[in-house]
Amino acid sequence: MTTQTPVSFRPHDLVVADDGTGYLRGSRCPSCGAHYFPTREVCAGCLTEDLETIPLPTRGTLYTYTVVHRSTPAFEVPYVLGYVDLPGPVRVLGQIDAEPDQVTIGMDVQLEIVPWGTDAEGTPLLGYRFAPGGHA
Amino acid sequence: MTDVYVIGIGMTQFGKHPDRTAAGLGAEAVRGAIHDAEIDPRAIRTAYAGHVFQPMVTGQQVLGQVGLAGIPLANVENACSSGATAIRGSFLDILAGEADVSLAFGTEHLTGAFKGAFTPGEDDPEAAVGATMPAVYAMRARRYMEEFDLTREQLARISVKNKRNAALNPLAHFKKDITIDDVLMAKPIAEPFGLLDCSPVSDGAAAVLLASGDWVQRHGDPSRAIRLAASALRTGKVETAPGSMTFEELTRDTADDAYERAGIGPADIDFAEVHDCFTIAEVLRIEGLGLWEQGTYPAAVERGEADIGGRLPVNPSGGLLGKGHPLAATGVAQVVELVKQLRGEAGSRQIEGASVGIAHCRGGKTVGVEGAACTVQILTR
Repeated sequence: MTTQTPVSFRPHDLVVADDGTGYLRGSRCPSCGAHYFPTREVCAGCLTEDLETIPLPTRGTLYTYTVVHRSTPAFEVPYVLGYVDLPGPVRVLGQIDAEPDQVTIGMDVQLEIVPWGTDAEGTPLLGYRFAPGGHA
Repeated sequence: MTDVYVIGIGMTQFGKHPDRTAAGLGAEAVRGAIHDAEIDPRAIRTAYAGHVFQPMVTGQQVLGQVGLAGIPLANVENACSSGATAIRGSFLDILAGEADVSLAFGTEHLTGAFKGAFTPGEDDPEAAVGATMPAVYAMRARRYMEEFDLTREQLARISVKNKRNAALNPLAHFKKDITIDDVLMAKPIAEPFGLLDCSPVSDGAAAVLLASGDWVQRHGDPSRAIRLAASALRTGKVETAPGSMTFEELTRDTADDAYERAGIGPADIDFAEVHDCFTIAEVLRIEGLGLWEQGTYPAAVERGEADIGGRLPVNPSGGLLGKGHPLAATGVAQVVELVKQLRGEAGSRQIEGASVGIAHCRGGKTVGVEGAACTVQILTR
């Protein structure tokens, strides 16, 4: 029996290397510099169509957050959820890997790759969260 | 340009109707509007049906039940703005001269379609990491608290106010006054929200009949006709940089379209029905509409300025928090309330001397966009 290589829960949005590191994939407009997550085909600012696909920075600051107590069956509650502003600038939603009383607006956070359940065939998946720490 | 009037309104009880269907509720509301207008239903030339989680061609099922099948009808889906978007369809048909009487309704049997926390569509990348609709608004509330010193108690007061108004509305889902402590002690949903900061899952339907000014003069009752001075619709812009989550540019842009069309400004508005799907939402809508300056509405609620009898009553019907929120019925029910108030038929929740009302809906979520669909309608006596 071979060991299964974990795969990204959303391969288009989250790229995971064999060593377990990873990054979110976004778009950058070469004309006006706007950044997007997830990737887009057309820049909403200037309607340019040849957007570049880029790795987004992995460190940012927390814009706002909540502690979710009621969710869909896919998620175990409670969990902290927040919007993170990454350099670009671009805003990304993710769970925050911290106790609720340790979370504050404006705190520095960094991307981390975490187990994210399995797919229908039982293959382990990797997802992302943001953990306190790092400097944007 | 021709003027457009609301000549008839109908609405079912909002609440839980386990033994009903969306089509049955819709037919009840449409019959109510026809009886209210006292017209021969054969005068109706076109129709628009709003619904979100219902079977396809629910609108045609409703027309069939009221004996009107045959006329042009389009089913409309714009999330929580579906019903208001249906009204805009009728409004434009009359302006274009395609119809002199048009029917718009919204119907939703939501308890049969949905349970628990409302989530965006499954393919939404934010839903994939745990976003729910309460969580998205809770994050806006948390940010507003940080920027404007909003307190938890101030948020709770909005729910208390709207449920107090709902207790005066026989068709509302909630019929009981609540206290600030009730809101603070309710089971947590997404902090800072508890259950009573969130609008309920409701079933219900509402309908309006619109007619041209010429038709009203010839066949109608001008004393009961209420002018629909504007029916504006916008789609949220894709954000090219992270935007403010405490000010609604989409609401402001849609309101500006409506104010311009109506020749009316925020200073002329006497009362408002706005999309208070969550407590913070009422704050964001009202400030987006320009009725209060950004950061000032929560304190105004505390002073009673948004109460019935206050400077500018907000959600006298009970709003979504009190009246209930059967998605596509909501935007139509707001216009029903405006018409009742402007006719002086609102009973114990009547706003004295009301002559200009505004209704606001916002619906849907798509990633990277401030809001999906927004509608603003202005009615005048």
